[in-house]
Amino acid sequence: MDIYAQNILDRYKEPHYKDKEFSAEITHKEANHSCGDVIETSITPKEAYGFSGQGCAISMASADMLGDLTEDMDENEILKIAKADVFEMLGIDISLRRSKCALLALLALQNGILEKRGEKLKTWTDYHI
Amino acid sequence: MDFKKDFPIFGKRDLVYLDSAATAQKPQAVLDAITEYYTHFNSNIHRGPNFLSEEATVAYEDARRVTADFIHAENKHEIIFTRNTTESINLVARSLESQFQKGDEILLSKLEHHSNIVPWLQLSEKTGVNIKYIPIDSEGRLEFAEELINEKTRLVAITAMNNSLAVMPELEPIIKVAHSKNALVLVDVAQSIVHQEVDVQKLGVDFIVFSGHKIYGPTGIGVLWGRTELLEQMEPFLGGGSMINEVFEDHFTPAGLPEKFEAGTPNIAGAIGLKAALQYVLDIGYSKIHKYEKELTEYLLGKLTSMPYVEIIGPKDLKNRGSLVSFGIEGVHPHDIAEGLSQQNIVIRAGHHCNQVLMDHYGLPGTARISLALYNTEEDIDKAVKTLEETHKYFN
Ligand SMILES: Cc1ncc(COP(=O)(O)O)c(C=O)c1O
Repeated sequence: MDIYAQNILDRYKEPHYKDKEFSAEITHKEANHSCGDVIETSITPKEAYGFSGQGCAISMASADMLGDLTEDMDENEILKIAKADVFEMLGIDISLRRSKCALLALLALQNGILEKRGEKLKTWTDYHI
Repeated sequence: MDFKKDFPIFGKRDLVYLDSAATAQKPQAVLDAITEYYTHFNSNIHRGPNFLSEEATVAYEDARRVTADFIHAENKHEIIFTRNTTESINLVARSLESQFQKGDEILLSKLEHHSNIVPWLQLSEKTGVNIKYIPIDSEGRLEFAEELINEKTRLVAITAMNNSLAVMPELEPIIKVAHSKNALVLVDVAQSIVHQEVDVQKLGVDFIVFSGHKIYGPTGIGVLWGRTELLEQMEPFLGGGSMINEVFEDHFTPAGLPEKFEAGTPNIAGAIGLKAALQYVLDIGYSKIHKYEKELTEYLLGKLTSMPYVEIIGPKDLKNRGSLVSFGIEGVHPHDIAEGLSQQNIVIRAGHHCNQVLMDHYGLPGTARISLALYNTEEDIDKAVKTLEETHKYFN
């Protein structure tokens, strides 16, 4: 049996950034109510990243891998991350039914920045799903 | 017993379908009835004095008669065709609105599907009625107490079978107390009607709602049954053609039952398909259905109970339950369980199943759910169980 690629399974089982404790500049929580997944991301851009929450393997792996992707990014660069970038980061085919799983952490990360700036938050339609 | 051969989808692809509580597959008889309508006598009903419209009207009204007989309704005009259970409940909530006042109470249960919660919450926002819930125990069984119904209770709306735990509550005591306090009773038989006969006379309720698609019929056709005197007092739901008697520039008079509640061109093909589905069920007979599904459910429960890392959510025995089982697997998210099965062409549901109030009660984000129907076999269950074993191994 091989449900997901090995990289996804590895990051799900042994995440690098899960429940990391630090005092973050930006913290934000988003939920996917249709499946009950919740992710809270914490970030101080260019310094530290962490997340907490519960979800399926794809949502958790995606939240974890975003830590690597955003390592050297400032706020504006993080806001520019698109759906395609996340799918490429995951390196597997993401079906329509799993798109929200893959993007939940990005939604939390980007909305944290938008909230801090007092700007309009993103919704799923902004990712065209 | 091979019911699978009646359902053409299983001949078209490699499929183990364990999600009938979401929607059931359709037998050939239903597909034939729909095709027959569209290819032989497609036309609008109740409109126009011509032979084609006459044939369509006769078929549509015959579907209403068969539906009425199916649930032992006295009058065929008490059957209102809607789109689904959800629309049927909304129809009742909206059409009764003017009869509710601030401070009135509506009693639901924690087992209700969102479709039997949200329309009442909307009614509450508009009128100030209070919504209360019958609590449940750790297995999801209702903890009904007479005191939950009082002089202020105007309506009790309750499911005959919950769609994530399979619980079939004992309705008689609730109906008895409700009627002794002059409260109306609506029963949502969306899940139960495919497994267990509904007899509105024996039940002694006021409204019954269900969807065609969960009882082997097409999507887009639903049923509301209500007692004549209640339907007559209720205001029309949607406005437009068919539901009127006369229309003037500044007012209209509504049509009689059932047209009053069927505005616009209805789902004619859907009603005809539903009739074929109900006849399919009648031809097999509920006692055979019940016996077969009970055996399958027992088999499934036995398999799942023997897997130490599987946690069954809801009742673990066969008492007052339907043929579905919710469960979790240690260390595996419900979505990942469904994904693993999906890759083996096995279809189940994972999530909160439109039962968020219930899931919150258990503190669960969701469950994986296997639901069984006539066309399932022990072999289907064996295939699913084998994949569940592999999925557990894969993640642990
Ligand atoms: C118990 C129950 N009530 C109501 C519904 C709603 O049915 P529909 O979506 O066809 O309106 C469902 C569907 O899952 C259900 O299981």
